Parts: sequence; C-alpha cells; structure tokens
Amino acid sequence: MKITKKIVKNLGLFLVLMVVSCDSYLDVNENPNNPEDAPISGLMINTTYESAKNIFRVGDITSNYVQYLASPNPASASDTMEPVSNNNTWFNIYNVMTDLTVLIEKAEEQEANHYKGAAQVLMALNLGMGVDIFGDMPYSESFTFETVTPSYDDDEQLYATIMGFLDEGINNLQGETTVSMGEDDFIYQGDTAKWIAFANMLKARYMIHTKETSSYSASEVLAATDNGFQSNDDDAKVGFFEQDINPWADVARDNADLLLGGWISEQFIQALDGTSYPTIDPRLGLMVGTTDDDTFVGTVNGAGRGNAPEQGARSTLVEDQYYTTITSPILIATYSEQKFIEAEAAFEIDKSRSYQAYLDGITAHMQMLEVPQEEIDSYLADPSVSMGEGAFTLADIFKEKWVALFLHPESWNDARRFDYQYKDMDVPVNLNPDLNGQFIRRLPYPDNEVSRNGQNVPDVTLLDRIFWDE
Amino acid sequence: MRNIYLTIIAVFSCVAAFGQTVTGTVSDTSGTPLPGVTIVVSGTNTGTTTDFDGNYSISASSGQILRFSYLGMKPKEVTVGTQTTINVSLEEDAEQLGEVIVTAFGISQEKKSLGYAAQSIDAEAIADTKQTNLVNSLQGQVAGVQITNSGGAPGQSARIIIRGINSLDPSANNQPLFVVDGVPIDNSTVESPNTPRGLSNRAADINPADVESMSVLKGAAATALYGVRAANGAVIITTKKGEKGKVSINLNTSVGFEELNRLPKLQKEYGQGFSGEYDPSSFWPSWGAPIDEVAQTEPGHKYQDNWNRAFDTGVRTDHSLSISGGGEKATFYASLGRLDQKGIIPFSTWDRTTAKISGTVTMNEKFNFGGSINYSNSGGNRVPHDRFMERMMYWAETQDVRDYINEDGTMKTYGNTNPIYDARFSTYKDDVNRIIGNLNFNYSPWEWLTLSYRIGTDFYSDSRTEITPGPKGIDGEVPLSSEGYLEETRINSRDITSNFYITLNNKFGEDFTTTLRLGNDIFERKYDRITSRGEVFIIPEFYNLNNTSRIFSEQGKSIRRLVGFYGDLMLNYKDYLFLNVTGRNDISSTLPKNNNSFFYPSINLGYVFTEHLDVPTWFTFGKIRASWAQVGKDTNPHVLGATFVSPDHFPLGGQVGFSRNSEFGDPMLKPELTTSMEFGAQLSFFDSRLDLDFTYYKSNAEDQIIPVPISDATGFSSYITNAGEIQNSGFEFVLGADIVRNEDFTWKATANLSMNNNEVKSIREGIDEIVVGNQFGYAGSTVTMKLIEGEAYGNLYGSSYERYGANEESIFLQRNLPTVIGDDGFPVRNGDQLILGNAVPKWIGGLRNQFTYKNFELSFLVDFRADVDQYNQFDNFLSAFGKNEYTLARNDFRVFDGVLADGTPNTQEVWLGQGVGPDGRDYGAGFWRNAYRGISENFVQDASFIKLRNISLAYNLNDKVLSKLPFTSMRISLAANNIILYSPWDGFDPESFSAGAGGNAIGFTGLGFPGTQSYFLTLNFGL
Repeated sequence: MKITKKIVKNLGLFLVLMVVSCDSYLDVNENPNNPEDAPISGLMINTTYESAKNIFRVGDITSNYVQYLASPNPASASDTMEPVSNNNTWFNIYNVMTDLTVLIEKAEEQEANHYKGAAQVLMALNLGMGVDIFGDMPYSESFTFETVTPSYDDDEQLYATIMGFLDEGINNLQGETTVSMGEDDFIYQGDTAKWIAFANMLKARYMIHTKETSSYSASEVLAATDNGFQSNDDDAKVGFFEQDINPWADVARDNADLLLGGWISEQFIQALDGTSYPTIDPRLGLMVGTTDDDTFVGTVNGAGRGNAPEQGARSTLVEDQYYTTITSPILIATYSEQKFIEAEAAFEIDKSRSYQAYLDGITAHMQMLEVPQEEIDSYLADPSVSMGEGAFTLADIFKEKWVALFLHPESWNDARRFDYQYKDMDVPVNLNPDLNGQFIRRLPYPDNEVSRNGQNVPDVTLLDRIFWDE
Repeated sequence: MRNIYLTIIAVFSCVAAFGQTVTGTVSDTSGTPLPGVTIVVSGTNTGTTTDFDGNYSISASSGQILRFSYLGMKPKEVTVGTQTTINVSLEEDAEQLGEVIVTAFGISQEKKSLGYAAQSIDAEAIADTKQTNLVNSLQGQVAGVQITNSGGAPGQSARIIIRGINSLDPSANNQPLFVVDGVPIDNSTVESPNTPRGLSNRAADINPADVESMSVLKGAAATALYGVRAANGAVIITTKKGEKGKVSINLNTSVGFEELNRLPKLQKEYGQGFSGEYDPSSFWPSWGAPIDEVAQTEPGHKYQDNWNRAFDTGVRTDHSLSISGGGEKATFYASLGRLDQKGIIPFSTWDRTTAKISGTVTMNEKFNFGGSINYSNSGGNRVPHDRFMERMMYWAETQDVRDYINEDGTMKTYGNTNPIYDARFSTYKDDVNRIIGNLNFNYSPWEWLTLSYRIGTDFYSDSRTEITPGPKGIDGEVPLSSEGYLEETRINSRDITSNFYITLNNKFGEDFTTTLRLGNDIFERKYDRITSRGEVFIIPEFYNLNNTSRIFSEQGKSIRRLVGFYGDLMLNYKDYLFLNVTGRNDISSTLPKNNNSFFYPSINLGYVFTEHLDVPTWFTFGKIRASWAQVGKDTNPHVLGATFVSPDHFPLGGQVGFSRNSEFGDPMLKPELTTSMEFGAQLSFFDSRLDLDFTYYKSNAEDQIIPVPISDATGFSSYITNAGEIQNSGFEFVLGADIVRNEDFTWKATANLSMNNNEVKSIREGIDEIVVGNQFGYAGSTVTMKLIEGEAYGNLYGSSYERYGANEESIFLQRNLPTVIGDDGFPVRNGDQLILGNAVPKWIGGLRNQFTYKNFELSFLVDFRADVDQYNQFDNFLSAFGKNEYTLARNDFRVFDGVLADGTPNTQEVWLGQGVGPDGRDYGAGFWRNAYRGISENFVQDASFIKLRNISLAYNLNDKVLSKLPFTSMRISLAANNIILYSPWDGFDPESFSAGAGGNAIGFTGLGFPGTQSYFLTLNFGL
C-alpha cells in the first residue's frame, strides 16, 4: 500500500509539473512569418503602389464600356455590358482603404502629419473611385470589425466624406510633421507641395462629377484647379519595375503570347484615324499597334474578331509604347485631365478661359506622349480641333478628354455624365438585353459581397445611376 | 482533471500480490508470439497479459494453476512447479473467431472485445494489390473507407477519407492520422505551386513490403487515445518484426508495365483549321477540312492517332530484400527496397529507396525494449500533366506530336507548343530524404503494472527544383518561355512524439478483469519552407540561381505543439461483456491560451451474447456493440489575431511594402468538437464459415473552425472562427464467406459495402455559402463546388439549359423538364448557378475473392463507387476544339428537342456548322463553340465505376522441387491492376482528379494525369 501511495504522490507531482511547464512549452503561437505590426513607411509604400494598381483594375473594366478596348471574343460579357462580378477590384479597393485606415491611425499616434495627410488624399481617391462605379458602399461600419456584415452608406454622403478627407489631407500636408515622407512615397517621393496640388486636383475631379446637382459651384472647381497641377511634371503617377511590370504592358505581352486581350475598339481607331473626325490624330500610332499591313483596324465591341486570326489583323495594345512599356507609369491624375476639368467648369462662366484650357489639355497630353512639336501644331491648327471659341462646345471637351484619358477609369464617369454622346458611339453588338438598348450606368455588386453580406447589399440594376448621374 | 486521475489511481491501490515470479513467452503453434494473452492464476485476483512480443511475468506459487486464454485459441492450463519459466504454445480454436486487431499505441486487442468497428488487412492482402503507394492498397478492402487515386503519374498521391468529409473548411485536412509502429507520421501532400504535377502523399515513402498489417480505426471511439490529430480516424500500420527461431531471408522482385486504361471517344475525320477549311499553321486543331479530302492534295496528311502515340508504356521494377530472425533475448528485421517507375506521360519518373532495421531485446522478465529506424529516399521528375493534356488539346490531330525536336534542340512545331517538348524540358524534380524512427521501453516491476515509454520521430527534407528554360538564343526558335525561370524549394519538417503510459491490470474475483491505462502524450511539428525563384537566364541552359537576373525569395515557418493526458479503462466481465471508457485532455499551442485545454470522453460496450445465452451450434459467434465518443480538434498554427504581410512582389526599387493580412483569426477561438456514435453487430455462423459485420454510425462535427469568407468592407476577407456544423451518417456491411474448404481447393470471399449521407447542418449566420473550389470551363461553363446549409458536401454548381416551367426557387437543375429553345432555333442557356450533381460518392464497396487449387492461388478484387458526379473538364475542352466523337455532327441539320418560350414544340431546323450554312444563314463559330461548350450541364457527368482493382495468379513451387533448390519457398505470380470494367463516363479514368490528395475540391477532373492499367510479373524467394 505504501508503494502505491508513493506512486500516486509522485505521479500527482509529475502531473502538476507537467501542467505548469506546459504553459511556456505551449507558448509558441506567435506568427513567425507575418509581423503583428508594420511601420508607416511600409504601409505608405504599399498604399501608393496599390492605389495606382487600382486605377489599372478599374480602368481594365471601364475601358470596354467607353470603347477604348473591345474583346476579341464575340458577345464577351465585358463588352456587352452583362453583369460581371468584379470581386478582385472590390477586394483591392477595400484592401487599400484598410491599410490607409491603419496608416492614418498610426500616423496620428506618431504625429506624422504628412503621412496622415497623404493617406487621407489616397483614401479620397480610392473611396471616390469605388463610389463612382458602385454607388452606395459600406464605409462608416467598415474597418472597425464591430460587425461582419457592415451596412451601406449613401453615395452622396460618401462624397461629403471624400471632400472632407481632401480638405483634412491638405491641412495635414501643410502642417508640421514628426516624420517626412521620402522614397516610400511611390507617387511623389515625399514632395508635399505636389501632394497638395494633387489633393486640389482630386477636389476638382469630384466636384465636376456633381455638375448636375444643386451643391455644384463652378467657381469652387476653378479655385481647386488654380491650386492644382501647374504642368505635366505634377502628374500623380507610379512607375513600374523590371520585377513587376506595368499591367498594361503585361496585357500587351500576354496578347502577343496568344492570351488574347487589349484589342482596340473600332470606336477609338475611327475617332483618331480620320473616319469620325476630319483630322488624323498623330497620337494614334503612339498609343496602339498596327496590323501586319501597318494599318489601324479596330474591333467592334461585342462582335468579337469574327474570322480574323489571333494575331496580325487587328490593332491591339503592343509593348513598348507610352502606356505599355514595362516601366511605364500608371497615371492616377494628370495635368491634362485637370485642364479639361477647368475647361468644363469655365465653359458657362468664362468661355475663353474654357477654350484655352481645352487647347492646353490637348497640348499637355501630346507633350506627355512626346508628339513632335510640328505635329502638335498642325493638329491644333486643324479647324476641327481649333474651331474657335464661338463654335467650341462641351462635346469637343469630352472628345479630347476621352482621348487624353486613354485607359483611365475617369472616362467612364465622363461618358455617363455625357450620356455616351461621343460621335459615332453605338451600343455594343449583342448588348445585354436587360439594358433595353441603353448603355450601362453602374457596376453590379460583386458576387463575393452578395454571398457574404447579402442582407445589406442594395438591390440595383445596371441602369440605376450614381447620384451625380441622375 | 488531475483529481480524476488520482481518483482512478486510488481505485487501483488495492492491487497487491507478491510471490514467486513466473515468466515466459506465449506463442501460437508456428512460434509467432501472441500479444495480449490473458494469464490468470486460478482462484485468485492475480492476472496479467502478454506484451507485444508475447512475454509475460506473473507471480504464482508452486501448485497454483495458470490459465492462458486468448480469443481464437483453445485456452490452456498449466500447473506451476518449481520452474520459473513457462513457455506456452496455444492451438487455434476453429470454433472461435480469432481476429486480433492493433489499436491505439500499437496495442493488440481481440476484436471480440471492441465496442466499435475496426477492420484490418494483412501483409498478403497488401502485397496482392501491387500498389507502390500504401494508401492505395486499402482500396476497396475496408468498409467506409474511400480511396481515390489522384491520377496515373508515377508516385502520385492517393486520398483517403473515412466515413465522409468532416469539415466545412475548404482547406482542411480530412484524411486520417497515419501511425507507424505507434508513432504518428506525416501524410501530407505538398503540390507543386505553379501547375499541377501530381506529387506524392508522404505515406508513399513507406515500402509496402515492410508492412505486416494495417488497421483502420474509423470512429472517434477508436481514436480517442490519439487525440486531436486522429479526429478523422486513424490508419495503424504495423511493420514486420523478426521472429524467434531461424533466420529467414526473403527476396521479392517484380516488373510491371502500364498503359492508358481509357480514352475519350474521339473523332478522326476532321483536321487542322477552322470553318471546315484546311490551314496547316492554324491554331485550331480540328475544326478544319475532312482529313481524307486534304490528303488527296497534301501528301502525308493523315490522322496521326496522337492520343495513343503521345503516351509511353510505363515500366516499373520493384525489388525488396529482407532478413529477419531472433533468439531467446532478441529479434531483428532488416530490409532494403528499391522501386523505379517510368510513367505513361514521357519523362515522368519516380523512384524510392528504402532501408529499414528494427529489433527487440528482452533484458529480463521485467524489462524489454525495442526500436526501429526507417530511411527512405524518394522523388522523381514530375511532368506538368495539366499542361501536357491542355497542349494535347490544342495540338493538331494531323501533325505528328512525337516529332517534337529539331536537331539544334529547339522545339519543332507548326505554331502551337508541343506537349512532349514541354514535358521533357519543363522539369520539376523532388528529392525527399526521410527518417522515421522510434524507441520503446517497457518495464513491469510487478505483473499488475507496466510502465511504457515510446519516443518517435518523423524527419524529412524535401528538395525541389523547377526549371522552365528560356530561349537558347538560336534564330527562329520557339521557346517555352520568353524568359525562363528556376525555382528552388527546400522543405524541412520534423515531428517528435513522446508517449509515456502506465498500464494497470487487475482481476476482481472470477468474473471481472480490468485494465487501466494512464498516459501523457507530447507532439511537436516544426516546419520550414524556403522558396527562391530566379528569372531570366543570363547564360542559356545554365541552371543556377546565380545565373538569373531577378531573384525572389519567400519563407514560411510554423511550429505546433500538443500536450495530452489520457486515461483508458477496460472492463471485461466473464469474457462476454466488455466496457471501455476513455478520457483525454489536450492542450494545443494553436488555440488562444484561455481556450487551449479541452477534455473529451468516450464509452463503448461490447456484448458477446453467444457466450452468455444459449444459441444453436451453427451460431458460432455473435456480438452487439455500441459506442459514443467525442473528440476535440484544434486549428492550424499561427492563425490568431491580425498580422501584416509583405506582398510577394516586394522589394520594388529597394522598398518593401506592408499590407494588413486579409485573414483574421478569432482571438476567442475554441476547439472543434466531434460527437459520434455507432451501433453494430458482428456475427459468425457455421463454424465461422460465414461472417457478417454491420455498423450504423452518425457523427456531428460542431463549432467547426472555418476561415469564413466575410465582406472585404470589414477590413478582412476571411475570419477564422467557430462557424458551423457538418453531419455524416451511414451504414457499413462486411461479409466474409469460406465457400469451399477442401484439401485441394479453397474459395474465400469478402465483400464490403458502405453508404454515407452528408449534411451541412449550419453555417454561421449571415454567411450564405462556402466556396470549396471551382474549375474553368469555356464560355461561362465554369463549375463551382459550394457548401450551403441543409445540403450535402460536394454539390457542383454551373450553367445549364433553360428549362420550361422550372421552379424559380429551386436550387437544383430540373432535368426532367423540357428544354427551352430560343428564337434562333438553339437551346437557351441559363447562366444561373444551379446544382448539377454531387461529387461525393454515396455508395462504395469492394469484393475480394481468393481461390487456391493445389499450388495455385488466384485472387481478385473488384471495387465500385456509385451515385457520384464530376465535372469533366476534358470533355469541355474536347468539345471546344472539335475533337470528341459527337462533334462529328458539325455539318448536320438538327431540330433541337424542346419547347419555345410559349410552350409549343420547337420545329425550327438549324445547322450545327461554322460560318454560313447551306441554308444561307451565318452560324458564326457553330453550335459546339457558340453554345454547347458554354453549358456546364453538358460536362457534369456520372462518374461511377466498377473496377477490377487487382487480379493475381500465383504458383508456389512444391516441396519436392524446392528440395532440389537452395530455397525454402518460391512463388511466381502474374497480376493486373486498375482495369475499368464499367463506367458511364466518357473520358479518361474518372478516378483521376486534379486537386491532389491534399485538396477537397474533388469532383474536378481538371486535365489530370490519366489513369493507367498495369500488368506485373513477380518472383518471390524464401531462404
């Protein structure tokens, strides 16, 4: 019995020891691969870079709607304005906004006001881009993780939030900071003056969207453009890298490898090759490729390539042009776009300013593409381009802005505000029958969001408009 | 918890009996030691059981009677004299059912005493299957166990699922724990990251020739002692051991050949081009002009029969040499094995070298120890089978696929990439070095107490090199890649398992025997994976990272630790009532600290009524059993809370960005809990000539830890939390019959049949569905596997033909309704995602027959699965490229069967071809490309099969001949494997699927490595 008792006692002691020593033995769950915290600099790198990628992602969707591009396949959903689920784009917009939320919080703690200001400007950029394509979006219940099914905020109210971010951002960028941005800022490498100009440019962009609403003020837009970009040097853009190539260059490269994509719409070709307008635009050959016969042949949206082979018979994006070099930048906001905004805002109140801004916008874009000066001059000299202040219309602004914003998502906002009234632009062949012959007005909410947050997702059709489009 | 243990121990503190110690070994008539033999001193409370090697030690005085009993053997009584060693040999008792089964921690138990279903297969049944992968040798042999070969590549993984899928997590491991000689081993499958190449599951590193038996423990009751890691069941592998007596040497050598076991039905009439026009440089392989027509003007133009010619005849050689033996104090077993395999896709290879040594030493009656060490080296060149098959799709049927290389080594092609050239030069080689070892010690200071300790390790390094060459720099070449890359992967994984337990035996009076086990179990896995990728080779064909201009690296590490305490009490009342109660408490490093310790119990009861009640003599044996058990489950390491990641593309311009990880692990996570119960009966009639085993089971896995997909707007995309419940229930039948038992001729048959029902009981509120996976289909025919509440695991969703009068609310395709035909005369496509089928087979089963006639042995194993659908991606591609037989209907007119939108029958005749038809209408790309390929319904097909899994004919040389030869035995056998007897499936072997054994997205064939059938000649020599 004694022995048994001893065993029991020792075993008991053994078990106690085991349990006690377990605590530290088992304390090995800290993540060895991913840190629990990240520096504001690392967040700045990723958010500036991913914001540019988001411009590409949205542009990749909208470029078929505004007929820059056309699918080589007949009745492709991206051309025919079918509901397409853009899970990836939705994710990336929120992913950047999540990082920006963390960045703003951290910058505030560290009083790194320039980081905070830049993050606020980027928040306005991404949220604005989201609202312009989706309308109502979750925002006020987002990022705090108090609910897994955040409710949706009204798109018009989100615009107020966006303007608030831009104003606060400007304020913070103008103030003192404990830490200055540098190479971690992929857009301006820490130049706060340019960030402030960029914020003003974005204010102008969002305000011009609301031209048809009661809150619009042309003079406020012009005040913003005055404080905005002063030349092409101020453009907000992110250059790409040998290791991670420009996404449009990637499209062009894939197409060359028979992963078809980046085919140019007939609408775009004919707008520049002298078919729809009397002039031949010198930019055409700098923006898109030719066929094997050195001609420009577009593809009709929704029709597909018909009997054309995979290569050589149609114009496509080709590598090594301005938009498609491996290290080409993705343009977030440009001086030329701002000039067209100025032209539109001034049109009703100061037509000569408007007309000059229009011509400056064309020049700025041509200079960006490095069009030889004599070709710029001869294009500008053409009466169909320089029609004179009297004959000058809003349609002229929209046409030239459309060319200057090649592949940029902003064009779809313009197209909708302009009711797609570009010359010769028709609805695509094989148009989604649910649209009753009309152009698409918004994107559907992505399948992932419907599957994960179905109770809150607004019930919309592709003809329901964003508040500024009504 | 501690109190419970102490109380249990206190109960046993009345055990005390000291006297003269008698030791010895109990064996059967052939000298094989018998573990688990009960030894009782008649008329006393004293009793013990033999250990694994048949040794026992008991105290008894001279004149007392020792009673040795063992199920399946005639009991024996021996009177103790003056001797201290009593070796006993027990004779088989034909009247009893003598099956012994190895359960948790390698403990052999009489199957009679188990309160749950367990089944095992022996070395012969394993050897007969001729499988290189141990998992495959279970195929069709065990009820409730589904084995799926993921393809026909050499060394390719096989997936094992016991009693259905138990987790809603798309990335969960639903496979059982593998245990070798009491030590759990890793059976993961780490697939190639870039394109599927059919890698091995790690259990394939074991040489099946070294295995003595495999037991499958199915329910939670059977596995409570292994804890969380055995929540999906366990496969207990016992390797061969040396036997006391003479030294024996065995040499086994085998050569085999393999070939495709099935091809889709293909058309041979139309060649390269589009719209019925011949074009020798066209991308389109089979939409061109009739081959006969072109051949009249183009010499040499013919159907090349590429689908048969692209594949090689696979060759496999397998040699094993073993030597074993033992004396009074020690036994040993040593073996060497070498397997070489060349697959049917050119340049696919796999080989395995194994070396094993094990031994046991009995120091004295109180102390013995043993150990084993198993080394293996395995690996091969894994061809990119998905890409191979995809390129076969694009390759023109009128161009010779075998003529793939120019003299300068560049690819010979008319334009498309040649699949064989790619298979040859886009290499991926893995090289695994692995050591599995264990040491075990048993110490019995008194006959009622045994202290056992076992420590085991499973350590492997997996070194992988993937090469895709860039251009050679030769003018006019068509390179496989414009840049080329080299990816080096190094994986190191180390498992350590420590297990200490004490066994207490006692007998209360004549009627009660009890065994109590108390133990502690510690497990640790350290895993580290590093990948370096270099792109753009500076010097062509020089494959070293230093020769690349862009290098990216990535690292993933993890560590997981588990500590468990357990108790296992077995009560035996009069040898007819058996009660077993277990309890286990696990503490896991992967769970939040306040929730990481969890307890779960089990209880099971077996009642052998034939030993209690009076039954007719033809009723040999009858037992009913019931069990109820719970088992907890932890999660993966390092998933809790929020972290930041640096996306792969950094550094860029010297800068490294960070982003918050979109996965968030619930800091309040608690362990999963699976509750299962089963009822069953084991019956035996007519002198055990007819055996029947029946089981009903039901298990519910609750509080499932799932990465729940959540709205990206929350700031995360995936929330790892306790979020659902899944239920499996079903029946299992096993029938064994000794049909003929003559001196010259015997015939034995065993059959098993199982049915499983699965239901997703709940998913966290607000979450409508969980997507397990999807696979591409042309023009919107992509098929998705999704889980939704109230439905079974494995539902396949996709597009379909619009049905007239279909219930809008129904989530299922209503196949019996008429198809709606559009104004254009073609069927209308419904893009809504409807359930088209289910990929988990409801019925599985197998039948094994063994015949002997004089020195001949014949055995065959047939297995089947039924009520299962899969997405046939091959068929989707074949129809898109006009390659399968039904696309011969490309110049036909057809009136599609169906009704118009107003319900009236369709009468419009349309043409199926491409371009402008004879009726003057432009049909564009034609019916097959415009419509057919874009409808998932066409490709979700019945994937049932009946297979002749194995047939084997053997001849054993008789003693007369052997006496003139230097061998003690010699056997020659011929065998064939994996022959499809019946399947409604049009395509390659429906068993192959692209996800590999590690994935749960079954039901997608992908462009997987086609299944093979094989033939073997095997020679076996005993010395």
